[in-house]
Amino acid sequence: MINELLKEGALILILASGVRLATPYLFAALGEMIGQRSGVLNLGVDGTMMLSAFTAFYVTFASGSLALGVLVGVLTGGLMGLIMAVVSVTMRAEQGISGIGLHLFGLGMSNLLFRLSLGAISTVEGFRPLSVPILSDLPVIGAVFFRHNVLVYLAFVLVPVAWVVLFRTPLGLKIRAVGENPQAADTLGVSVTGIRYLCVIIGGMMSGLAGTYLSIGLNNMYVDNITNGMGWIAVALVYFGRWHPWGVLAGSLLFSVVNALQIWVQVRGIAIPYEFAVMMPYVLTIVALAFAVRRAQQPAALSKPYERAEA
Amino acid sequence: MATARPGIITSLEMCGIVKRFPGVLANDGVDFDVRAGEVHALLGENGAGKSTLMKILYGLYQPDAGEILLNGRPLNIASPAQAIRLGIGMIHQHFMLIPPLTVAENVIIGLPSSRRIFVDTDRAARRISELADAYGLQVDPRAFVWQLAVGEQQRVEIIKALYRGADLLILDEPTAVLTPQEVDELFATLRQMKQNGHALIFITHKLHEVMAISDRVTVLRDGRVVGRVATQDTDEAALARMMVGRDVIRTWEKPAITPGQVLLSVEDLEAQSDKGTPALKRVSLEVREGEIVGIAGVSGNGQRELAEAITGLRPVTGGRVIIADRDVTNCSPAEVLAAGLSFIPEGRMTMGVIKEFSVWENAILETHAQPPLARGMFLDFKRIADHTRRLIGDYEVKTPSQETPVKNLSGGNIQKLILARELSRAPKVLVAAQPTRGVDVGATEYIHRRLIEQRSQGTATLLISEDLDEIMALSDRIAVMYEGQIMGVVRGDEASPEQLGLLMAGVRS
Amino acid sequence: MQKYAMFMFSVLLVAALLVACAPPTPVAPEKVRVALILPSTIDDLAWSQSMYEGVKAVQAELGEDRMEVTVTENLWNPVDAAAAIRDFAEQGYHLIIAHGAQYQNSLFEIAPDFPDTSFAYGTSFKTGDNIFAYDPQAQEGGYLLGIIAGMMTKTNKIGVVGPVEAGDAVKYNYGFVQGVASVNPDAEVSVTYTGSFGDTAGAGEMAKTHMDNGADFLTGTAQQAVGAIQAAKERGVPWLGSDMDQSVVWPDTVMAAQVYNWKEVVRRMVDARVEGKKGGEHLSLSFANGRLSLHFNDRFNIPADVKAKVETTLQAIKDGSLVVPLPSE
Repeated sequence: MINELLKEGALILILASGVRLATPYLFAALGEMIGQRSGVLNLGVDGTMMLSAFTAFYVTFASGSLALGVLVGVLTGGLMGLIMAVVSVTMRAEQGISGIGLHLFGLGMSNLLFRLSLGAISTVEGFRPLSVPILSDLPVIGAVFFRHNVLVYLAFVLVPVAWVVLFRTPLGLKIRAVGENPQAADTLGVSVTGIRYLCVIIGGMMSGLAGTYLSIGLNNMYVDNITNGMGWIAVALVYFGRWHPWGVLAGSLLFSVVNALQIWVQVRGIAIPYEFAVMMPYVLTIVALAFAVRRAQQPAALSKPYERAEA
Repeated sequence: MATARPGIITSLEMCGIVKRFPGVLANDGVDFDVRAGEVHALLGENGAGKSTLMKILYGLYQPDAGEILLNGRPLNIASPAQAIRLGIGMIHQHFMLIPPLTVAENVIIGLPSSRRIFVDTDRAARRISELADAYGLQVDPRAFVWQLAVGEQQRVEIIKALYRGADLLILDEPTAVLTPQEVDELFATLRQMKQNGHALIFITHKLHEVMAISDRVTVLRDGRVVGRVATQDTDEAALARMMVGRDVIRTWEKPAITPGQVLLSVEDLEAQSDKGTPALKRVSLEVREGEIVGIAGVSGNGQRELAEAITGLRPVTGGRVIIADRDVTNCSPAEVLAAGLSFIPEGRMTMGVIKEFSVWENAILETHAQPPLARGMFLDFKRIADHTRRLIGDYEVKTPSQETPVKNLSGGNIQKLILARELSRAPKVLVAAQPTRGVDVGATEYIHRRLIEQRSQGTATLLISEDLDEIMALSDRIAVMYEGQIMGVVRGDEASPEQLGLLMAGVRS
Repeated sequence: MQKYAMFMFSVLLVAALLVACAPPTPVAPEKVRVALILPSTIDDLAWSQSMYEGVKAVQAELGEDRMEVTVTENLWNPVDAAAAIRDFAEQGYHLIIAHGAQYQNSLFEIAPDFPDTSFAYGTSFKTGDNIFAYDPQAQEGGYLLGIIAGMMTKTNKIGVVGPVEAGDAVKYNYGFVQGVASVNPDAEVSVTYTGSFGDTAGAGEMAKTHMDNGADFLTGTAQQAVGAIQAAKERGVPWLGSDMDQSVVWPDTVMAAQVYNWKEVVRRMVDARVEGKKGGEHLSLSFANGRLSLHFNDRFNIPADVKAKVETTLQAIKDGSLVVPLPSE
């Protein structure tokens, strides 16, 4: 098996497949990370992905425009984020429960809208792979990273963007301050509510992108429950990545490349019981988490609603 | 770019400020003012309305009535952001810092950057160093806040305000966590700021600080102004009378007692902090019959762990604890209590009482299973009511009824109830941790009197407090803790704040 | 006040229980009430949709005034489904179809409490007094489709995108592998599982990996398969379908399909009740009894020799001269 794996062709196939599979996790987990950095735990990621997957698909199906599909998918996610922000920031509801409520809303709503509008599985011509000039000709790297569709590139570009925003801009400083000590941010004239709204809505938009990628970038069709639990994995990847863009990238890639590897192992007919194969990504991710030395430092105010203390 | 702009605020007045919270009138027509180049002390007990008034000034609360005049012009301060723009800064009692960020990052949160969308920590660091030099606020801009000592953290807070160009600075009980030397450094900085034309509001309940730093004093009681005087025209006794409404006993005449046998003995005690780091490093001390031994120190130097290790709440990893000749090392709290120990924990609401329970339920938390309060497996409610009534009466606990949930009582009354419960068991050894923190002057006075009475009855008392005045007023001997070790033990009647302050800072004389 | 409220609540609770326990209201014998519990949805292009269409076809045959149909979807979890099954039984439904092998334990627990109600489930052969079990002989269609793939493959590599190694997926895959081997011993069939019935993205990625590996024919079962069919379409690789004929959605991709004719099964269960049998029958779906059929997609030019081989094999299966073996349990 090792020999087969070391053949360049196999490795490229597995890594390229891993990059494709990592994309939805990357979108969703980066978005969730930004929300959590501001102190809001949003468990509605999976439902948001489903609803955006549907709206993006439907608009693309009806209009034939992928760009319009992406726009609507992102706006749908933003709207879901707005709902979460109203409930958890303004109304200060318990965040875990509100997030699960949001998830169930997205799940039910996407089922319902699909039934009412399309009613049967349909397909669209989704995003086509777009080779990046020059870079795609690089050995190995070119085939692994630079022959995908535009949404895949976007997801990977958003990693350094998220890093720069969080750690190199005044906005990022405000976000981290609000997530660590909202009282302190408030006394410095930072609007805790404003920052949390912004972050949760951006997080929703990125979940929306994740769903959009599923329906018009990867599957090119819409089916009920299209995420199959990916949103929950994305939330876990935020913890795995220790609220850091590079960590989230590492977690998404590890999980997805191992998944691609187990698919490859099955396809090559290598004698491993399939149950073990499908468990591999989960087991390895947990093992990696257990062996990572640094202690997890979650934002101190995560999942705590903020209210100016009364005298 | 933000710069210090002394002189822009020449005067600030608050007129007839009223602020209501559900069930409480926190500010009842309060007038207050401050001018450039002065320190105006705002004095009052906990709950007198000082913090509420200042939070209104800082835009955190909106007043229900009254107006604010800046340089004679009325205006409305809607948010901290606006207060900052007007040149008002506030140093909160609980530091508003973000430990995982650096000093520079903490300072520039919420400010626009000279590099537009990117932060400019280099420039901020230079500016911080300038301010530090000008006001004697030495701190490394690139250090993370969690690495800093408490005194340094407070400097960061002041720099934060100055960096934003604060002309008027509100300091809310800024000395509560400082050593005497750090207080001196703070006062030097404040005098420098005053000279540069800043207006300073200094909130405190410590009278000698008022006398040391302020030009004028305003005293608040129950949400109203009860006095305003120039500092040079008053003294501590007069201020105390204004603050409490009657004469206050400030120094205790302790009856001379020859300490008897050793009742509490701690030998080479070692224990770990919650984080698993060493918190107590071979601590040894003895407390004798009829003796109060004070433990002084800046908070977080092992005092809490010491109290918990003695009372069986924290595992002892080395050494021994002996109460009245019984080795109780790593015994359960119930066994330690049975050995004759009473404990007044520092977390009044979390460890001292069950706040949802009624007064009588809290009064019998430890003794409910023993006669006379219990008959067999049942509670004897009549005896319990009598017992509770006696405690409430003897210890002057003000409560509407025995059925009242404890959370509805004031801090002072809760503390008296705990004291009543603990002392009613006639302990051989009393461990009292921060017994008067957040308690009004009247209750503090009462608690101090009770502790001295207990001393006369032969109880060996270990008094752990961050309030140096309290330690010095009550203790026969004072042990100073620093980083889990006892730096030195001095006699109470020979101790000076300077000497203790050096020990608290880890300097052995 | 509070005590009064508690008392009233108790009274209401008891009343509700009494109503719930009352015998079901008798229904005119000519109208049969059918409840259908589906693990997936009525438009999954697979297992659930095929059964739904079968039930609706019987209803169309009998007329809506003689047959009432209620459907509950997305009850993949047997615990949730058990609540629905009991609820339907208490409401007096005559025939409750719990469409999945995972409901077996729940049915055998609930059915004895409702002796007048008929229950049905599958894939299985274990029946009860008032429990029907149905059982598609999916290996038969798998074998026939395997012949097509085996004779037409050029790369000698064929991929199977399975859901979970259980139920009719195992039977189908086992038949398929034998079908390929019967005509082309050199062809490699790679049987893989996504580990989930609903992981369309995973199925799509699995299909891509098969094609990257050189497979020029793909097949698979369950609702997750649609992800793989779409992936096959995008690379122009033909798909061999099961459960339903998915060529309605992918006319240029689905070359042939084995179709479950649930209508005949449902009709038999309805008729059995009229005969007074409330259960106990093992209802097999096979090509011999017409409950399985093979659909060719006319858009594909399947060579005559392939078609002929499939036809003769189909006849042999029908007349019993060829029995496609199953994995020994």
